[in-house]
Amino acid sequence: MLVWFLPLFLVFLMIGLPVFFGLLFAPGLLLWLNGQERDMALLYRNVYNGMDSFPLMAIPFFMLAGELMNRGGITMRLVEFSQAMMGHFRGGLAHVNVLSSMLFAGLSGSAVADTSALGSMLIPAMEKQGYTRRFSAAITAASSVIGPIIPPSGIMIIYAYVMGESVAALFLAGIVPGIMVGVGLMVMVKILADKYDFPVATRKYTWPERGQASLKAFFPLMTPVIILGGILGGIFTPTEAAAVAAAYAIVVGMFILGSLRLSDLPDVLSRAAMTSAVVLLLVGAAMAFKTVVSLSHAPEALAAFILSLSENPLILLFLINLLLFIVGMFLDAGPAIIILGPILGPIFTSLGVDPVHFAIIMSVNLTVGLATPPMGLVLFVASSVSGEKVEAISRAILPFLAVEVIVIFLITYIPAISMTIPRLTGFVN
Amino acid sequence: MAPLLGVLKPLQFVNDHVLRVGRAIAVVAIGLMVVVILIQVIFRYVLNNALPWPDEAARFLMLWMTGLIAASAYRRGGFVAIDMLEMALPRKVGAVLSLVLLVMSLIVLIVGVRLGWNHVNSGWLFTSSSLRLPLWLIGLASVKIKLAYMYMSLFVGLILLTMVNIELILRSLITLGGRGDDLDPLAELDIPGAE
Repeated sequence: MLVWFLPLFLVFLMIGLPVFFGLLFAPGLLLWLNGQERDMALLYRNVYNGMDSFPLMAIPFFMLAGELMNRGGITMRLVEFSQAMMGHFRGGLAHVNVLSSMLFAGLSGSAVADTSALGSMLIPAMEKQGYTRRFSAAITAASSVIGPIIPPSGIMIIYAYVMGESVAALFLAGIVPGIMVGVGLMVMVKILADKYDFPVATRKYTWPERGQASLKAFFPLMTPVIILGGILGGIFTPTEAAAVAAAYAIVVGMFILGSLRLSDLPDVLSRAAMTSAVVLLLVGAAMAFKTVVSLSHAPEALAAFILSLSENPLILLFLINLLLFIVGMFLDAGPAIIILGPILGPIFTSLGVDPVHFAIIMSVNLTVGLATPPMGLVLFVASSVSGEKVEAISRAILPFLAVEVIVIFLITYIPAISMTIPRLTGFVN
Repeated sequence: MAPLLGVLKPLQFVNDHVLRVGRAIAVVAIGLMVVVILIQVIFRYVLNNALPWPDEAARFLMLWMTGLIAASAYRRGGFVAIDMLEMALPRKVGAVLSLVLLVMSLIVLIVGVRLGWNHVNSGWLFTSSSLRLPLWLIGLASVKIKLAYMYMSLFVGLILLTMVNIELILRSLITLGGRGDDLDPLAELDIPGAE
C-alpha cells in the first residue's frame, strides 16, 4: 500500500498542490489509511529535525549575501568589469552577459537572482544596441543557469544535506562544469554573432582602463576567493563561509562602495528570510518524505525496474539525463532534487557511480531545466524583467540550450571533468 | 457572500498585524544569526576558544525565523507549486480546483498542528545541551533552556500558516461567489526558491 505514495504525490503535484503540502499529504494519507498513526507523529518529527540543521543554515546566509550584493551595486561593478574585458568583441554585450553571469555565480547561488539582477541591467542595454529583445532575454536566461553550478550553490547545499554528502566536495566539483557552460555559451554567441553580424559594444579598452575596472571590481570579486579559500583551507565550514560572505557584502556595500544604506537593510533581510523560510520548510518536508521512502519498498521496486532496462551504467545514465531533463521542464530544481535524490542516488551509487559525480549530474541537469521551456522558472523571470513573451524567449533560447545539453552529456560521461578538483584537494578519495 | 466578507475582514486584519510582527522578529533573527556565527568564527581563530553555544543558538534563531515568516511567504504566493493545470482550465473550474487544493493544504496543516502540540509537550522533558538563560546576570543560578522552546517554532509556524490558509479559502469562496472585486489585493513575493 505504502508504495502508492509516490504516484499519489505526483498526482497531487500535477494538479497544483504546493510541493510542501504534497510532500506531507501523500505519505500522511497512506499512513493514516494503514492505521499507522504513530508513524504520522514520526513524519512530523522529521519535518522539524530536517530543518534543525547547521549545514542547512548556509542557505539563508547565501540568500542574504546575494540580496545584499544586488542592492549594494556590486552587480553593476561586475558588469562594468566584464564590459572592459569583452565589450569590444562582435556580439560584445552578449559576451558581457555570459561573463557577468559567471562572475555573479561566484557570489550567489541562484539562477533566479542572476536573471533578475543582470537582466534588468543588460537587457535594456542590449536592446539599445540593436539586439532583439527576445535574444537579449534568452542569453540572460541561458547564462543564469551557471549561477547554481559554479559555487556557492543553493541546490548543492540542499542535495548535500538531504543525501549526506560534503557541501565542500560538491562546490568544488561544480567549478569546471560551470566554466564549461559559460565558455560553451560564448562559443555559441560567437557563431551567432558572425552569422548575424551582431554589434560591437564598445571600443577596445586599453590595459590601464581595464586595470581601473578591475580595481573597482576587486572587492566584489574577492567574495568567491573568501568563500572557496576559506572552505578549502579548512578555515570555515560552508555555513560559516556563507555568514562571512553576508557580513562581507554588508561591509563592502556600506563602507567601501557606499551604495548600500542602513535603511535598505530591513527590506533586504526580510526578503532573504522569506525566501529561505520557504526553502527550509521544503527541505524539512522532504526529509520526512524521505523516511517514508525508506519505510515503503518503493526504492527497491524502482531500482529493480531501472536495472531491468539495462545493466550498463552508461545507458542508464543517459536515461536519467532524459528523465531529469523532462522533470526539469516542469519542476524547479530545488524540489526536484529533494524528491529524486533519495530515490535515484542510491541506485547509481550501487552501480559504481561516485556519489559526488552523480550529485553534479543531477544538479546541472535540473539547473538547465530551469531555462527549459515550457515551465522553466528563469524563462518566466526573464520574461517579467524584459517584457518579452515566454514563448518568444523559449524559441530564441534553443541554440543555447543545445550547448548546455552537450555540456550535460560531457560531464555525465567524463567523470574527470567534475571529479578532478575535489580529488586533487582531497575532498573526495 | 456578505457574511463571508464579514468573517474575512477581521481575519485579514489580524493576519496583517500578526504577520507584520512575525516578519519584524524574523528580520532580527536572521541578522542575529550572522552575528552569532561571526562570533563563533572570531572566538575560534582570534581568541582560540571554541564556544559551545553559537551552533545551537543560531539554529534556534533559524527555526524561529522560519516559523514566523513562512506564513508571510505563503500569503504572498511564495510556496512552490505547478499551476499549469489551473491556468489551462476554464476560469470557473480553475477556481474550484484552487479551492480544493487549499482545503487539502488545510487538512495537512490541521493534522500538523495537532501533532505539533504533542511534539511541543514532549519537549518539556528535554533541556538544551548548550543554551542557558543567563539568570546569573540578575543574581540567580542560570537555567538550561527546555527544547520545547525550540519545538514551538514549527508549531507556531503551522498555526500562522493555518490562519493564512483560512483567509485564502475565504477569499477563494468570495471570488467563486462573484464578489472577487471587493477583495483587497495581497502583496506578492517576486523571487521564489533556492534556484
